[in-house]
Amino acid sequence: MSLLDVSGLSKQFGGLTAVAGMNFTVTGGEILAIIGPNGAGKTTMLNLLSGLLQPTAGSIRLNGTDLAGKLPDVRCHLGLGRAFQVVQPFPEMTVAENVNVGALFGQPGTTAVEAEALTRDALMTSGLWHLRDTPAEDLTLMQEKRLEIARALATRPLILLLDEVMAGLRPGEAREAIDLVRRIRDTGVTVIFIEHVMPVVKDLADRVIVMDYGRMIAEGSYAEVTANPAVIEAYLGTDEEGEDAL
Amino acid sequence: MDLSLLLQAITSGLLSSGLYALVAIGLALAIGVIGIVNFAHGEFFMIGAFLTYQLAVSLGFDPLLSILVVAPLLFLLGAFLYRTTVHYVLGAPELNQMLLTFGLGIILQNLALLVWGGDPRTVPSIPYRSLSFNIGDVTVGAVMLGSFVISMLLVLGLYWLLYRTPLGRGMRAVAQSRIGASLVGLNVDRTYLVTFAVSAALAGIGGVMIAVIQSPSPTVGLTFTLKAFAIVVLAGLGNIRGIIWASVLVALAESLIANLVPNGDSLRNAVFFSIIFLVLILRGRRPA
Amino acid sequence: MSPLRRVLPHVVVLAVFAVLLWFLPGTIRALFGQASVSYVTLVTNAASLAILALSWDLLARTGQVSLAHAAFFGAGAYSTALLSRFADVPLWLGIPLGGVVAGLIALALGPVTLRLHGIYFAIATLSFTEVLRAVVHQLPSRIAGGAPGLNVPALFRPTFVAGEMERWEVAFIRNEGYFLIYAAVLVFTLLLSIIIQRTRLRYAFTAVRTNQEVAAVMGVNPARTKLLAFVLSSVPVGLLGAVAAHRFGSVNPFETFSIHTTVLALVTPIFGGLYTTVGPLLGATVLAGIEETLRRSLDSGYMIAYGVVLVFAVLFMPRGLVGLLGKLFRRRREAAK
Repeated sequence: MSLLDVSGLSKQFGGLTAVAGMNFTVTGGEILAIIGPNGAGKTTMLNLLSGLLQPTAGSIRLNGTDLAGKLPDVRCHLGLGRAFQVVQPFPEMTVAENVNVGALFGQPGTTAVEAEALTRDALMTSGLWHLRDTPAEDLTLMQEKRLEIARALATRPLILLLDEVMAGLRPGEAREAIDLVRRIRDTGVTVIFIEHVMPVVKDLADRVIVMDYGRMIAEGSYAEVTANPAVIEAYLGTDEEGEDAL
Repeated sequence: MDLSLLLQAITSGLLSSGLYALVAIGLALAIGVIGIVNFAHGEFFMIGAFLTYQLAVSLGFDPLLSILVVAPLLFLLGAFLYRTTVHYVLGAPELNQMLLTFGLGIILQNLALLVWGGDPRTVPSIPYRSLSFNIGDVTVGAVMLGSFVISMLLVLGLYWLLYRTPLGRGMRAVAQSRIGASLVGLNVDRTYLVTFAVSAALAGIGGVMIAVIQSPSPTVGLTFTLKAFAIVVLAGLGNIRGIIWASVLVALAESLIANLVPNGDSLRNAVFFSIIFLVLILRGRRPA
Repeated sequence: MSPLRRVLPHVVVLAVFAVLLWFLPGTIRALFGQASVSYVTLVTNAASLAILALSWDLLARTGQVSLAHAAFFGAGAYSTALLSRFADVPLWLGIPLGGVVAGLIALALGPVTLRLHGIYFAIATLSFTEVLRAVVHQLPSRIAGGAPGLNVPALFRPTFVAGEMERWEVAFIRNEGYFLIYAAVLVFTLLLSIIIQRTRLRYAFTAVRTNQEVAAVMGVNPARTKLLAFVLSSVPVGLLGAVAAHRFGSVNPFETFSIHTTVLALVTPIFGGLYTTVGPLLGATVLAGIEETLRRSLDSGYMIAYGVVLVFAVLFMPRGLVGLLGKLFRRRREAAK
């Protein structure tokens, strides 16, 4: 049985169709990339998965459980972790305290002692242990992104949803981020990530889904989708970014 | 139901809507252009009323004449308060802005209490106060009619300002995009200053009229802030055109209940607050 | 560290504080003699302010800026007034009843206002207070007293015994009695504040305040957290309202639901320092002193001080007194190095 099962998922905002008829599955332990031109509906897709938006049609099943109507915090308990594109740490708390929120509330019934251990693990995996007592508002961009991921990891997710983690990173930092995502997968977490930076997708993704205008236009390995004429059309047809992207 | 009573209630409501629209539109300006919910808005209104009283008592000014004094004075007050306090919280979280204007409101209200005491004040010797004429079964007070006409003129004047003058264009530009407006060379801060000052002046003029219509006390400010807010929310934030309809709706509702429901007069304010409460709750429930 | 170990030291400090409060009136009497009557009133007012401030701060921790404190105060006050009027039970039962009623109202109001944030929440809570006041006003006079309100029997009626005491000691005993009840409510509120500050609730509250969506995807239920805060913050205010009703001897729609209460409740913790336990306490102590001084010189309009303090605090003291003091200590430590 697949870990995540998305079937016929659609989202309409009044007259605007953001996501239309998305069908895909995700198996445990894989790294799946969702790519597509700007406005393709990728972040909406992630918001639908997290429960921040309710679909107008279709269903999402996590480990066989239908997520319909379930609030984001319930989905977190069920195993969906989420890191946001624009990082918003809890500024009045230290790095460790930020992560602790996830550790304490990610799974119901976690004791304070257990949470401390989870926090430590998440900080270690993300390479933030040495910054654990730093106020979260004093972090650099890369450190903030690590914090965002650490917070999500502390909730003990089955699947981690990442939204454009690479945005704004220098090449060296991007390399660190790639290593981090690999480390995460090695701990048994499945990763779904949205990305614009193609070399990263090529490097990290086991499988790629391409979205355009809310629909899935291609699915497969990086090599397969980048050779797909519909995909090339989607990128080049919209803006110059397509040329750089591919 | 007594038809003439109904007609009277409707007429009263319609006539009151002018004043409400005037006060509400000032608040809508502040919210729409500057982005700040001015809790002290009603206090400008209250000060306008008390200045009218004082001018009448000390200098024998007729309220109509007072408008010429109150408007510029309140314009200056608004400008002063903007420059010294509001200007500094524009970048701060919404909470801070709300608290600042709330504090300003407390200061203004208590200043008035210190100067004039807590009792309602009646503006003396207004010859036309009880003047009225009849249209069929309906009695129309000259003062009410006058306030309606003046308010509507001012509201229309404001529309003219917003849509036909460079200043107004600037205000609308800033309302839509602060960054965009400054990029095309608009002095955003000066626009904010003028907007705040104008909204204070409008409220002040409303206060002149209320001083004639009833006998205000220094505590009337908060009630009017909330009433103005009710209208602005009902019209939809940022929708300046809708203010007139919302004012009519609210004024009619208040008048109908006050006149037709037994014991309705004391329920007047409760009606308003219930409207605000319900509107906020129901609007808040729109699906994501 | 388990939550119990984290809370315990603070509870011990609180217990010591409670003991100090217990002996405070006696100490004042020993020091000041007849003047102690008004000094006890002063510390009672400070305690009242502290309760308002601490409870308002509790709710503010979830990002809910409430203007409904007067509603809960009034609810508590009227609960005990009605109880003493219609039921044949010990008077003091009205006080916990006031807390319960306030909590129930919060339980009902909370879910309705949950989706509103920032200013809308504030205005909705303010409107609710006014509606509640109007309802109480409109209730039949035989029940709730209408506009003139109801009389509320006193809790303490010490009798003067010539030869055994001075005349002023009667007033003192009465004031002392009320102070001790206020102190009890204060200790209760402090306990709530400590529990929230030192357990995982602190994380939940702060997360919800900072960003509800981020909090939600981390497993925190914003709705439930906010509702919990709403109820927890309303109970102390209800208790306070009930005691105050007995202390002042009457309730009426205008004064009991007056926005003054709300103003005091929000200015004090902002001035003292939000999201701390010490801040509201500190703010209450300072402001009670200032208010007392002002009330003697200005008749009506002394509330202007609160307006000035609020504006000042917003503009110049983002972290309140606690923040200022913290900065001072840090600077002294830097200088000492």
